[in-house]
Formats: sequence, C-alpha cells, structure tokens
Amino acid sequence: MADLNQTQREPAPEEPRLDGQPGDRELVERAQQGDGAAFAMLVERHQRQLYRLALRMTGSEADAQEVLQEAFLNAYQKLPLFRGEAQFSSWLYRIAANSALMRLRRKRRAPDTLAEQPLELAGPRFSAEGYLEPASSSDWSQRADEKMMSGELGAAINKAVADLPDDYRTVFLLKDVDGLSNEDIANALDLTVPAVKSRLHRARLALREKLGEFFDGAK
Amino acid sequence: MTTQIHHCKECVDLLGEYIEGTLSPERAKALEDHLSTCPPCITFVRTYRATRKLCRHALATEMPKELMTSLTSFLGKHVPGFPCTKSETAAPSLATTADSGPKKV
Repeated sequence: MADLNQTQREPAPEEPRLDGQPGDRELVERAQQGDGAAFAMLVERHQRQLYRLALRMTGSEADAQEVLQEAFLNAYQKLPLFRGEAQFSSWLYRIAANSALMRLRRKRRAPDTLAEQPLELAGPRFSAEGYLEPASSSDWSQRADEKMMSGELGAAINKAVADLPDDYRTVFLLKDVDGLSNEDIANALDLTVPAVKSRLHRARLALREKLGEFFDGAK
Repeated sequence: MTTQIHHCKECVDLLGEYIEGTLSPERAKALEDHLSTCPPCITFVRTYRATRKLCRHALATEMPKELMTSLTSFLGKHVPGFPCTKSETAAPSLATTADSGPKKV
C-alpha cells in the first residue's frame, strides 16, 4: 500500500491562479473546516484528470467510476491528515491510484506492485557497432498526418497499445496521451521518476516499431 | 569525460529526455551534433515524435458528463454540505467561469 503521508514531494505554491479562482490550498483549508462547497470545487477541478488515471489503470469505465467515487470520498475523510506538504493533486492521484490497484487486486488482475516484470518489447535494431539497421529507419512520419483520421490506423494504434505490458501501457497513456508529469505519474504509481522515464521510452520505441510495420504494410 | 555521441544506439537511448527538454545542455548538443551527420537518426526522431502525436490523437479521452453527474450525486449523499447540483455550488462552475472571466469567491 502506498504511503499517503506526503513527505517525498517538494512543497509547491498553488496560488494565486490566473483564472481568479481560489487555489487548491485555500479550498483545502476551507474544506478542512467543513465547507462542502469548497470540496465540491476541488472535485470539479480535479475529476477529469483523476478519471483518466482511473480509466488508464483499470481499463474499464465502470471501474473508473467506482474508483473515482471511492477516491474522492476517501480524500474527504482523510482531509484532516493533509498537511499541505505536497500538492493536493499529487496527494489525490496517490489515493486514486491506490484505490484502482486495490480494485484490480480484488479482481486478481494486478501484480502485487508495478515493479519489474520480465518482458520482451519490440524496439529498433542496431548493428554490432551500434548503428541503426535500415529496417529501423524507414521514414513514415510524412504519411502520418495524411493517415491521422484513418480507421485502420486507429485500430492499429489501439492494438499496439493494448499489446504493451500493463505497467508500460499505463505510464505511456498517462504521460503521452493525458499529459501528466513524470513526477505525478511516479507518485501515483509508486515508481521512481527514472523508472517512469525508462518505461515511457521503451513503450514509445515499441509503439514506433508497430506503427512502422503498419505504414510499411500500407505503402 | 567526453560527451560525444558516436553511435545511433546512444542517440536513441537519449531521445526521450531530448524531446522533453530534460537532457543536459552538453548531452543535447552532443545529440544534435550526431543528428547533423546521421540521416537514419533524423528519421528516427521524426517517427518517434510522430508516434506520440498519432497515439495522442487516437486515444485522447474525456470524462463522460453522465459520470460527472453521478459522481456529484454520490458525493452529495456522503459529504456534508456538498452541493448536489451546480446551481447549489457556492462558487460557479470552473468550466463556466473560465469563459466568463475571473470571479472572486
């Protein structure tokens, strides 16, 4: 179970916001004093990103819905323990990630941790001297824009991403599709930032290979 | 210690940090020097970037409105003072205030 005591993150000033709304810190303080409307504003502000995290981890909209309910309720109940040493959003991600992991374990779909799993991921091929093999350097990037709306390409992407190992897929989706920071992903998934970067890079390399195969086959 | 990059493999290993701008200036310069003399690596960078762009386009998702409604309803039952509808919220919805300009609460 991940530690919810927010000691590993640097404090970050969360105010003032450019949109004139109160910052998270102010809303948290108000919610800690029993202001339900302030908590509602925190929910409104963070629910979309939390939904993406829950969806990416569980792979199911129904599970994501339950994770979201559980995570926000849990956060409300633990609010008196939040001391503001970390960003509220990071604290919230961690609670939601724990909830998603527990749900997956109950369904026996998750490993005990997101630690290293043996795997073979596709990647570029190099010569013995470390130079790229010609097959790894076909330039399909110019055709990518033309094919952007193609249903076939969409299906190929979905399959390639689905074929990634769970923990690599989750990191890739959270970072490259949903735009979370490496730090937030590491915090939520109980990984180090270098581990996040490594999985992300390997996932991108594997997906690049698969897309290369798609475009080569579509010539 | 030399920062020169001799082989494509080293270049590929650094690409993730390079495109995120987190590589040290010395390593970024060494990588760019390698790219200036290595067409296969230039192609590799292009397709690496295109991979991210295509996946983002194909897989981006939004939280369904019905789910927002059911979450609000759920929390309204369990959190004292939690407004069950947006009109009950003390502060206006962030989505609407973003359009109508800053508003102090």
